[in-house]
Amino acid sequence: MSSMKRIRANLVLTAVAALFLAAIPGASQQQPSKTAPTPKHDLTGLWHYESTGASEPIAPDNLIPPMTPWAKVRFDAERPGYGPRRTAGGNDPILQCDPIGFPRIMFLNTPFEFAQVNGRVIQFFEHEHEYRTIWVDGRPLPADADPTWYGYAIGHWEGDDTLVVESAGYNDKTWLGSTGYAHSKGMRITERYRRIDHDTILYDITIADPKAYTQPLVGPHRRMKLRPKDELIEEICVPSEEKSFAQRVADPATPKATK
Amino acid sequence: MRCSPIHVLGYLTAALALLMAAPAQASPQQTATKSTSSSVSKRDLTGVWQLQGGNGGAQPIAEDKDMPAMTPWAKVRFDAQKPGYGSRGAAGGNDPILQCDPIGFPRIMLMPTPNEIVQLPDRVLQFWEREHEWRSIWTDGRALPADPDPTWYGYAIGHWEADGTLVVESSGFIDKTWLGPTGYPHSEDMRIVERYRRVDQDTLSYDMTITDPKAYAKPVVTPHRTMKLKPNEEISEQPCVWSQENEFAQRIRNPATPKTTKQ
Repeated sequence: MSSMKRIRANLVLTAVAALFLAAIPGASQQQPSKTAPTPKHDLTGLWHYESTGASEPIAPDNLIPPMTPWAKVRFDAERPGYGPRRTAGGNDPILQCDPIGFPRIMFLNTPFEFAQVNGRVIQFFEHEHEYRTIWVDGRPLPADADPTWYGYAIGHWEGDDTLVVESAGYNDKTWLGSTGYAHSKGMRITERYRRIDHDTILYDITIADPKAYTQPLVGPHRRMKLRPKDELIEEICVPSEEKSFAQRVADPATPKATK
Repeated sequence: MRCSPIHVLGYLTAALALLMAAPAQASPQQTATKSTSSSVSKRDLTGVWQLQGGNGGAQPIAEDKDMPAMTPWAKVRFDAQKPGYGSRGAAGGNDPILQCDPIGFPRIMLMPTPNEIVQLPDRVLQFWEREHEWRSIWTDGRALPADPDPTWYGYAIGHWEADGTLVVESSGFIDKTWLGPTGYPHSEDMRIVERYRRVDQDTLSYDMTITDPKAYAKPVVTPHRTMKLKPNEEISEQPCVWSQENEFAQRIRNPATPKTTKQ
């Protein structure tokens, strides 16, 4: 299947799934498989969520902490295409192929890959053909990083199986997830990738952003599965294609209002 | 803090367009005459590299006079392309990167922004500051796929020659990209061979040959180029952001681009 077809298929799936978006992702209770030993300090490989199959919110609305007035103004200006506030003709920045940014890129139904080399863990995302470097060479986060879409990330290992990633230096133009939710340039993110068995990562994310939220935002537990035989494909958001697609399919298909 | 790299580049681009003096220097400023130093690690291209030449701007794939004859198929496309640079440069052009469509390979190699090479046991990774892009060059012995889905950055394999040269072969490219800022089309059949040779600790010599019989009567052989190591650099993030680019183009680039230019 060509990448464009795949994008279309994902969008259609997403639209369908959005209609049923009552489901909340959570850690399932499967026991770790005993098929192969779990490598130590090693997340190498291609991983994919056990997800609803849709583009997901950062967290269900009831887990989002109270917003500050600064964040509420931004939140009210957002018109997402998903979730309880969704409308046609929205202003989701990704509709014009602006970068989806971090952490929102983590919540798509597309795989990512970890590669480890020379003091860094590199994370490649199929969506937008993006990547970020997680420095694991002991450096601190820069004190005054230029804000970027994917931030600046450092990591360290806890025990044999957990990579803890801290990141900062984000611009404030991205949404936290498909249902909107703002963040500021002061956002700091802590992630934990815990490889609980050869084939499984447990993923937790906490966002601290006092300018936007009165308490840290704690994402639901998520679970990722190894896909040993897959290779990432190239799935770039192409403005010339996206524009014509939105006019032809996405806008007419989005329901006007939902409860 | 600094201002957005896109805007910095944009201003540079506009300034360059105004000057629009000679096309980019085709012959590299530094020729690879140095002998291979014994201290240079073989089969190690790791580092951040800066393409030389081009007076700080984007370089054409080759000078007009060095481009082989086009097929009728390619000529139709070439005539439809309205670049913002070179002898055909004009305002209100239709360069696909103006709307942030991917710049694609090999054009991304000709930008004045650095690239980084990282080596894994089974592949060489190449990262570009421009568009925050990357590709895998598989060095695990696999063949190029026989029938790949065409992509903007293609599918690449590589092997090492005895003198430490990394030879990269690639194919599977979408035909929507231009070969460089001055236009020039290619077809989906395009195959590219690149040679990266570390001539000394700080220098890569870089050569590219494009074979595309659907578009050109003979292979396009690019001018010999060099890249210099930037040992203490980290490449930054410079995506093309449509909302910013659009605003910038309307405000600065279009009014500033000369209607016609002569070389």
